[in-house]
Order: sequence, then C-alpha cells, then structure tokens
Amino acid sequence: MDPECSRLLPALCAVLADPRQPVADDTCLEKLLDWFTAVTEAGSSLLLLQENPCLVELLFHVLKSQDLSSRILSFSLRLAGIFAAQENCFQYLQGELLPMLFGEVGPLGGAAWTAPAVRSGWIQGLRTLAQHPSALHFLAACGAVDTIFSLQGDPSLFVASAAGQLLVHILDLAMRGPAEGRRSLQACDWPACAQKIVGHIEDSLCSTAIPQVTQALSVLTTAFGHCHGLWTQGLWVRLSPLVARLLEKDPVPASHSLVDLLLSVARSAPSSDRGLWETLAQTLSHLSPTQAGPLALGILKLQDCPQVLRTQAFGILLQPLACVLEAAAQAPGPPGLLEGAAGDSMTVDTLLSSKSACVGLLCCALAHLGLLQPLPQRPSPWPQAPLLGAAVTILRLCSGSAAPTSDVGGRLCAILVGCGRVQRAALDFLGALSQGTGPQELVTQVFSVLLEYLVSPESSSMVLKKAFQATLRWLLSSPKTPGCCDLDPHTQLFLTELLPVLQKRLCSPCWEVRDSGLEFLTQMTRHWGGQAGFRQALLASEVPELTKQLLRDPESYVRASAVTATGQLSSWGLCASPECPGAQQESLLVELLHILSTDSEGFPRRAVMQVFTEWLRDGHADVAEDAERFVAGVLQAASRDLDWEVRAQGLELALVFLEQLLGQRGSHCPYAEALPETAPPGVLAQALQVLCRVQLFEFAFRALFDCDRPVAQKSCDLLLFLRAKAAPCGGPQEAGDSPNVASVEATLQRWQAGEQGQPLGYLEPGAVVALLRSVDLEGLRDTLAESSDHVEKSPQSLLQDMLAAVGVLGENEADCY
Amino acid sequence: MPEIRVTPLGAGQDVGRSCILVSIAGKNVMLDCGMHMGFSDDRRFPDFSYITRSGRLTDFLDCVIISHFHLDHCGALPYFSEMVGYDGPIYMTQPTQAICPILLEDYRKIAVDKKGEANFFTSQMIKDCMKKVVAVHLHQTVQVDDELEIKAYYAGHVLGAAMFQIKVGSESVVYTGDYNMTPDRHLGAAWIDKCRPNLLITESTYATTIRDSKRCRERDFLKKVHETVERGGKVLIPVFALGRAQELCILLETFWERMDLKAPIYFSTGLTEKANHYYKLFIPWTNQKIRKTFVQRNMFEFKHIKAFDRAFADSPGPMVVFATPGMLHAGQSLQIFRKWAGNEKNMVIMPGYCVQGTVGHKILSGQRKLEMEGRQVLEVKMQVEYMSFSAHADAKGIMQLVGQAEPENVLLVHGEAKKMEFLKQKIEQEFRVSCYMPANGETVTLPTSPSIPVGISLGLLKREMAQGLLPDAKKPRLLHGTLIMKDSNFRLVSSEQALKELGLAEHQLRFTCRVHLHDTRKEQETAVRVYSHLKSVLKDHCVQHLPDGSVTVESILIQAAAHSEDPGTKVLLVSWTYQDEELGSYLTSLLKKGLPQAS
Repeated sequence: MDPECSRLLPALCAVLADPRQPVADDTCLEKLLDWFTAVTEAGSSLLLLQENPCLVELLFHVLKSQDLSSRILSFSLRLAGIFAAQENCFQYLQGELLPMLFGEVGPLGGAAWTAPAVRSGWIQGLRTLAQHPSALHFLAACGAVDTIFSLQGDPSLFVASAAGQLLVHILDLAMRGPAEGRRSLQACDWPACAQKIVGHIEDSLCSTAIPQVTQALSVLTTAFGHCHGLWTQGLWVRLSPLVARLLEKDPVPASHSLVDLLLSVARSAPSSDRGLWETLAQTLSHLSPTQAGPLALGILKLQDCPQVLRTQAFGILLQPLACVLEAAAQAPGPPGLLEGAAGDSMTVDTLLSSKSACVGLLCCALAHLGLLQPLPQRPSPWPQAPLLGAAVTILRLCSGSAAPTSDVGGRLCAILVGCGRVQRAALDFLGALSQGTGPQELVTQVFSVLLEYLVSPESSSMVLKKAFQATLRWLLSSPKTPGCCDLDPHTQLFLTELLPVLQKRLCSPCWEVRDSGLEFLTQMTRHWGGQAGFRQALLASEVPELTKQLLRDPESYVRASAVTATGQLSSWGLCASPECPGAQQESLLVELLHILSTDSEGFPRRAVMQVFTEWLRDGHADVAEDAERFVAGVLQAASRDLDWEVRAQGLELALVFLEQLLGQRGSHCPYAEALPETAPPGVLAQALQVLCRVQLFEFAFRALFDCDRPVAQKSCDLLLFLRAKAAPCGGPQEAGDSPNVASVEATLQRWQAGEQGQPLGYLEPGAVVALLRSVDLEGLRDTLAESSDHVEKSPQSLLQDMLAAVGVLGENEADCY
Repeated sequence: MPEIRVTPLGAGQDVGRSCILVSIAGKNVMLDCGMHMGFSDDRRFPDFSYITRSGRLTDFLDCVIISHFHLDHCGALPYFSEMVGYDGPIYMTQPTQAICPILLEDYRKIAVDKKGEANFFTSQMIKDCMKKVVAVHLHQTVQVDDELEIKAYYAGHVLGAAMFQIKVGSESVVYTGDYNMTPDRHLGAAWIDKCRPNLLITESTYATTIRDSKRCRERDFLKKVHETVERGGKVLIPVFALGRAQELCILLETFWERMDLKAPIYFSTGLTEKANHYYKLFIPWTNQKIRKTFVQRNMFEFKHIKAFDRAFADSPGPMVVFATPGMLHAGQSLQIFRKWAGNEKNMVIMPGYCVQGTVGHKILSGQRKLEMEGRQVLEVKMQVEYMSFSAHADAKGIMQLVGQAEPENVLLVHGEAKKMEFLKQKIEQEFRVSCYMPANGETVTLPTSPSIPVGISLGLLKREMAQGLLPDAKKPRLLHGTLIMKDSNFRLVSSEQALKELGLAEHQLRFTCRVHLHDTRKEQETAVRVYSHLKSVLKDHCVQHLPDGSVTVESILIQAAAHSEDPGTKVLLVSWTYQDEELGSYLTSLLKKGLPQAS
C-alpha cells in the first residue's frame, strides 16, 4: 500500500466508524472496496491488517455500534470477506470477528437485517470469503447455509439472486479439491455441506410452491453453466428424475427456468446422455408453442444432438410460420414449411387467441429463425423458399395487401394489419434470409413487398429504416449476370422503381426517414458506385441533387449523413452532371469546406473531415489536382474547430498526407519493431518544405498541448512518426541554435502552460527537425497514455476526498443534476 | 387477482440512476433508463440482466418511457437499446428527444475519448437509439398498443421534462420523473389533473426540505458574480451544456442589462448554441413570462453573452465564463480553472452536484491543494462557491402533487432512505393512502380490483323501469339479470333473452323436503287433512287439492306417502321452485309442527 494511503487510513476508519458522519458519495464505499480488492490481490491481507490495525478496529467498532448506517455495515461485511479470502488472514480473523459478523450474534439477528443492503453485504462478504476449505467449516459452524436458503426467497431480486449464486459457489467449493477425482457419482459420499445443499434443492424441486421450484431450477442452471467438475454429472444423475417429474404436471411449473436449466445441462453434458435427450423431447412436446421456442432454438444451437430431436425442435420454430402460410394460401400450392403436418392446432389456437399472443409468438419465431439462419449448425436442408414465402406473407398480412380466403387467414389479417412490432421483426428476418438464394419468382416477391413498405405512407420511421436495411441486404446479395460485371436485369429493373421512392423519402418531414434514406444511399453507392447500370439509374434520378440539398437540412444528423453520401457519390463521379463535371465537383469541395468552417454543430463537421480524409487517401481527382492547397485549407479550418473530434480527424488527414509524402508507417504488428523506415534525404527536404507551407507543424504542435487528450495523443504519434522519418539522416541543415528555433521553443512552452494565443509563425524545415529533437515526445506520450482523470481516480485521491467531505456534507448532500 | 408490480433497478432509496420497471395488467414498462456518473465501469448502468433473464428484451418490454434529458434518467438508453438489444419503442417529449443526444454525446466524449473507457456507446449508436424514439405531446393520449396508453403532463424541472400516466384498461400508474412545483426563470410549474391513479410514483429528492425562495439564491448568485467582476476578477461557472446553463444565462443577461455592466460574458462551447436553439424552438415549453415576451424579444437571444475562444482565457480584466463540463472533469472548464485558480480575485461557482473523482468534488469539499499530473500541485486561491439551482419539488410541493392527483397508493423513488421514511409517514397520515419506498431490486406488489365493462340489454332496463322505480344517478340499485359472455364481451340480459341467445332450454329446479307426520290414517285422508289445514291458514294463497290426491299451494306441491317401515307414520313430500322459496320454507316449518286434531 502506498505510504500516503497508509497514513490517511486511520483517519478514514475513524470517520467510517462515526455514525454522526454520513458518507459523502454513495460510490465512495464501492470504490474503496475496489481498492482493497486490488491491494489484497497484489499482496498479503494478513500483512495489510497487521500494518494497518485500524482496519480490524473498524470492523470491531462496527459490531459494537448500534446506530451505524446500513451502508457502513454492508461495507464492513464485504470488507471482512475480502480480507478473509486468504486462508491465513481468515485464521487470523476467525476467532472472534468473523463469527460475530456473519453468525447469529451479528447483524443477522439484529434490526439492521431488514435493510436489503445489509443482507446483500452479508452474502457478498461470504461469497468473497469462501475460497478455501477452512471457509467451508466456518459456514457449517455458523449455520450460514440455512440462512442462504431462506435468502433465496428474499423480497429483493438482487439479494435472492446473489443467494442462489452463493449456494452454487459453496457447492462447487465443497465438491472440488483433491478428493474430486476419487469422489463417486453417488451423492452419499459427498461432503456434508454439499449433501445439505443438494437435499435442499431436491426438496424445492418437489415443492408445490412455484417460487421454490424456480429457485431450485435457477441454482441448478448456474451450477451447470459455471461449474465444470465431474461432480455435476453425478448431480444430474441424482436430480434428473425430479426434474422430469415436473413435466408431468399441467401446466409445467416455472417453464422458463426449466428451459434454462435443460439447455444449461445440454451444453455441459456429454452427447451420449440418452435420458437428457428424451427429457428435452418430452419438454418440447409439453410446453406451449411460446414457451417451447427458446428451448427449440437452444437445442438447434447445440453442437451434438440427435437428429430426431433437432427435427422436432425445428418443427416448433417453423410451426407458427407454417400456420400463417397455410392460412393465407389462396389455392393448394407447393409443399409448405412442414411436410404433411398442417398447422398444429395448439399453435393455431395461440395465434388466434388474442392479439398479444399472436404478435408475441410470431415475433419470437421470426427472431429465433433469424438467429439460426447464419449459424453453421442450422438445420439442413434449410427451407429457404417457404421461409421467404412466409416472411413475405406476414409482411403482406401486416400491410393489409394480402387477401386470405380462409377463416383463419382472415382473422390473422385482422390481428396483424398495421402491427409495427411484427413488421419490424419480419423485415429483420427477411434481411437475414438474403444470405441464401431463392427461386426468382419469390425473390421478385421479396423486392415487391420491400418496395411496398418503402412506398407506403403507413410505414413508421423504424419500419422504414428496417425496410431500407433489408433492401440493401437483398440488393447486395443479388446474383451477378454470369460473365458480366454489371447488375442482373431484375435488380436493374428494381432500381428504376426504387430510386423514385428513395427520392420521395429524402423529402420526408421526418428526420429519421431522411437520415435512413441517406445511409442507404451511401451504402449502395459504396458497393455499386462502379456498376454502369447503377450509375445510369442514379444519374437519371434526382437523388444526387436532393442529397446535395440535404447538406443544408435543419437537422444536424441529416446534414452529417448528407455530407457522407455526397462524399461517396463524388468519389464515384456521381455528383456531377455529364456536361460540366469540373464545375460541380469544385462547388462540392467548396461547399464541404464551407460546412467545415461554419456549421454550428459537430456531426456535419466531423463527417466532412472523414470525407476529406477518404478523398485524400483515395486520390480523389479534385484533391489530387492541388493536394497542397487542399490540405492547407482543411487544416486551417480544423485547427480552429471547437469540437476536438474534428481536430483529431484533422490530424488523421495530416497523417495520410505525411504518408503520401514520406511513405507508409511501419507495421502495426505488436511483435515487430514499429519504427518507420527513414526517408531519403532529397524526398525528406522536399516534403518538409511542403509541410511547412501547409502549416502542418503549427497545427500539430498546437494540438500537442490540446486540452483534449486524444488530440494531443494523435499529434504526439504523428510527430514521433515524422521524427523517425527525418531524424537519423542529416536531412536539411538543422538550425538548432538559430533565433527562430529559440523563439519557437519559447512559444511552445507558453502553449504547454495553457497560453495558446500567440501563433507560431512560419517555420523553416531546419527548425522543425531541431524542434522535433528538442521536444520530449516520448515523455509526453507516456503522460498522455494515462486517462485524463487518473490523478482524481487514484486511491489517495479517494481517501482525501472522503476525509475532506466530512463536515461539509450538510450543504451539498442529495443534490443532483 | 390482478396486480401492479414495481421494481426499481435504480433510484430505489437512492439518487443515482433512475430505472423503474412497472408491470400493469400484463404490460411491462421501463420508466427512465439512467446512468450513474460516479462510476466508470458497468456499475454506471442499471443491472439489466434481471430483465434479460425473462427472455428477449423486445418481447418482454412493451415500451420505455424517458421523463427528461438528464443523464441520470436517460444516460443508459443507447447502451440498453444498441448494446443490450432492446428494439422496441421509446417514448419521450419532443424537447427531450432533441436535447438527449446532445448530452449523451457530451458525456460519451468525456467517457470514451478523454478517459479512454471501453464498452461505451458510439455516436452512431446514439443516433440509432434516437431513431427508435416516438415523440409525444403534452396531454396527448398515445396508444402504445391496443391496450396500453400513455399521456404526458408538464413537470417543470428542465425543458421538456414530463410526468407520465400509464394506463391499461381502468388501471393506471403515474410516474413523475423529476418535477418542480414552483415556476422558475424559464420554466413553469408542474401540473397534473385529478387522474386518481392506482399508484403515483414520485421523486423525493427534497423529501424533508422546505426550500427557501429561489429568488434569494438568485440574488446571492448575482451579488457574488457582481462583486467579483467589480474587483476585476474572473468568474468561472462550470455547467453541462443544457439546463442550468440557460437559466443562469437569462439571470445574468437581465442583470447585466439592468446594471449596464460592461464585463464580457462568454459561453465556452459550440454545443450551447444548439442548446439555445432548442430553447428558442420549444418556447411553448417555457414559462408564461417568456412565452408572453417572446413576440417582442426572445429571452434566449442573448445580447451580452458571446461565444468563447480559447485565447480569451488569457485576456486581462474581468469576465464571466460558462464552460463545460459541469463537474470540472476534464476539457475546457478544467483548463480554465487551472489558469485562474491561483488568483484570489477570481471565483468559481459550482451550480450543481459533483461526483467523487472530479476536481469539482474536491474543491467543494474544501480541498485547496490539488495534485495534478506529474506530481504538480495546484494551489486554489480563487473563491469557491456552491449554489444549488436544481429544480426539484420540495416536501410541500410533493404533498401538493399527491393532493392534486389523488392516487390510491404512493411510491417514493429518487431520494435518500431516511428522508423518504419521514415523507412516507407524512403522506400516509395526511392522505390516508399506503406509501411504499422499495430499495433497488425490491418489488412492491399492489393488488388492484379489475374493472370489467358490462353492457346491459335495453329490454332488461325497460323491464326495471316498468316496475315503476325511476333511476337515480346517485343511488346504486340492485338489478337482476343473466351475465353472458359472447365474442369476448360481457352483457347483462334477462334470463329469457339469455336462453334465446344461447339456444338453451330452461331447467326447472325444485327444492324438496320430507316431513314426517304421525298419522295412522290412509295417505288420501292425510292429504285431505293437509289441504284443509293449509286452506284455513293460507287465506291469501291459492290452495288446491288435485284429483291425484296431491295438494298445491302456488308452485308448491305436497304429496302424502306411507312410511315403508312404520305404518303409523306418513311422509309428506314437499317440493317448490326457487321463486317460491320463502313460501316453501314457511310451509315446511308449518307442516313440521303437525296437523290440528280433527274436530
């Protein structure tokens, strides 16, 4: 422990033990515990207590004091747990203190126990303490396990959940250890503590009270999820008959927890356990369609699992969609989702029972199938075509464009029409299905329903966003015409219908819609900017012009997206009309520069910097024409910006420029020496001249002392890179002693002190090299590597703050934002 | 039994991060999704694992409601929606929707970029989250789905702050968020109608305080600023971009105007321009005075307050600077503080609360020698002042709101346990309603009586009218009928109509009773004796002796039979319908007394 902290500790303990001194900030005690955890992890707890007797005194004092706050009591219990986690320190405290803190005589029997914070502290203290065999004896001796049993039903969720976890921890601790390998699967020769816990779980599983069954199931779920000892197999052998018996009840109690447990066991059990598979199959058939969905998904995600069970599980997920398909069928068509099995009556009942049940079941089925789709272990063959059909049908039912003739179809239509939740889920699912192929006729239907949603005035902004996302995924996955790099005719046709819709959406009164439209356009252009068909269709539309107009949108998010979109369009030459390309491009550059220097908000300015950096990196024609002038202009604007992210992006652009002049930076491989190679002297001299002309150094040196750490960090990296390139060779004549360098150094010192008013003035390349040598860049880099509040966050600062807060609390307490 | 369940994940007996789960008539709603600025790890967010355990979030939660833009109420929202995976609707007022991203962005920059914290949301996530927001207007009933509806009421506190009523059928909960019952410089007082919710969830920050007039605090503030400027000093006011900053700006602007002061006032960040823009845009949300004068002059178009440039900090002479962030965490406010701290002529005014681990917290607790980077020590000679301008209802205001809404139960959040205890007792005594104060993680369950709408057939009502009693709205009256459920609707109809509608035949239900009589005569003679006796006793009733030997009185049938074992005893079999239940009972008791001896 830091000597300064050690010095402050007695005073702090005295404050904590004084009931008249409320603790300053509710985070302080938590942070104090974090610190003690770190200290004890790094060294001996026993030594810590011996060197700082005030800590043990504090714990004794807490026990004696009657009117301490529950927060301090909870803190003390947790603190004692941290110390006692080391066995020798446990022995040291065991005699008197620990039984008094955690036993019947302690807070457990007092009025303080009514505070959930104290019960939580008691559990957390024991959880931390229970790390060694001695702790097990202690728990048994003080009767803690029975208290934990009762805390499982605590009115506080946090306490109840922590109690369950602590039981698992104790069980694991009891079962692990040197005897583990020799321990038989028969529970009769398990340690007494473990037997007691398992006995309690057995009783709970047989209970008629559902909360108790739930508690037992969740303890077991945690055990199978977190403990990987051999003993868990024995536990399952012993308890599985009781779990299976739950399935005989109607309705199945605590079904959600039961599903969690079975999946947890299935993930940890060897694949040869036939009994387990039978239980899973039985559970699938006993649960309602809504309850069975998560179990079915879990089974299908398992690596090894019998095919029969997988088929059963997949059937459950498909069932709701199969019902929808069947209900909406106009005439007997191709085989549905589930061969032979018409819509299961229970599923149909659920779908039609109420709107919320129908929406819930469909959303779950769609989400589960969407999650399954990209997985390698998804069922094979994957019924891509019927699933596509189902997604399209659901979307049509929701939009009201389907006209089912059956009774069930009609009722489904009435339930689903206009339902945003199902629309969103179905669009997400449809997007996920774009990863597979489908018959052309169905793909055409997909595009048609997507277009319907994009056009519909009924579509909410979130539905439109999802429709755009799904459309993008389908467009990007559409097949290329063999032997041709252009778009296939269907896609081409779709584009001509899509662009007028996009055009309309870009004029939406809702900023969310305009923004989603622009994001869609940017992505589409990024992928297809080079495709003749896309270019032709886009240029024939008013989309590029509208996008440009959105640079002046009242909403800053939209302006930023418009900047990104026009930047992307321009990169592919799609901003210009074919007649006079130069003039249009020039005006865009000017317009973006104007946004950079005048927009009152950060997002558009940041977007401009990103576009400019991309343009410079990719050699955009207008930038390449006079890169020097471009960089000078941009850096000048960025250096004045109030938003530090713009300034940081300015440094990124400067770095790209540097790399273009001097060559790439070294490898970023952490195992390789990252120093860049030096540049040849001729190139370097020339480059430095250019850098001086664009005033890059003024920008970089100013940024080096920026009040925002990432800017300073980036600048430091840039200058280090430059120094490594320039330093070893003589380069231009160094001018270390010239008056110019001396005055610049003086200015830099003032900047470092926070006075940044004075400009640096024009720098000669020689002076730059000299400066690069004289500034302690490595030192700065190390300082900047620490978070900007590391001093305030230090333990010493915490102790000082807690001490300083004593007495001034009355005035400032309990205020908030 | 239907019930309302409330579980705070945050703001339960603390003033940390508000996040309250409410289950009402099967619908689950999250009220606020706040962040604790005092932590820099996952503890800053509410522990959402307690919700994710119940399955997919979007399926479990029907909606999220955000009361106002302060980070302790909305700071975890992008994390919840973009990282934990909630994809459903989020409701807030329009000003909150506009201002929320500014503050989230402000904090993201401090957290991620300046402190280098990982696992924090990005700008894109903030935007994507805001796209899920559905803006609500005051007093507009918004239908979340077919059953769940919400309605916003004005809460004062900050621009756009709202209280929300959540209603499913006849059950309702009101959540206040933070509110202020007294108008201030730029906002009005909170107001709610007499909505009589089953439960009112109210903040209780100042549960035991009766706050002094805000005017006093304002005067004090202006005096201190004025004195410092007069003696040539500089005043630094660290603020968050939005909220208190605007209130103090109006205060200084009017004071400068009145006193004709010349010292410059600066606002340090571009963010505030946007903030002021929103205050102008949402004029209807401000108080009456601002709204009235708006036509002549917009209060938010400041004449004396100019944008700040970094170079100004070094300029000589007095000035007042508003700089972000508000707790002197980092950035510009901290940079200016470092420059000015050494001069005793200067002053820093902290207008709000500072969490531990910030320079603001240190100087407020009186520390005057601050360790800076590289073991440097900064000596704070400038004056340090704390002035709370937070706009919460005090104890009086809370009681006023409870009186206004007339809830059946009250639940306190967003306050300290000890103070809540006091207020709880006061509410229970004064309003005779139950008051709860759950800790975080504790669930309060309130049983509610379900109200099921039932339609009454016109025929039934007409029949009641025909009985001559005119309906009286103030007096409840008993009405007999048959309750039928058809197509998920309940209707009360006459039994004849029920039979007809349901296609059922009526069953006769008869009560029977055996009465033993000592009589050695034959059955027929016993029947005659019974007839004669009843005829003489029941003068107003129709008593008949039927040819088959049985006796009837109205619907009551009496037959005499021989006793199987005892020839000296006769058994009278009496049966009657439920319409004549009274008469039937009377007759049996009469017959049990025996027949009069033949004269």
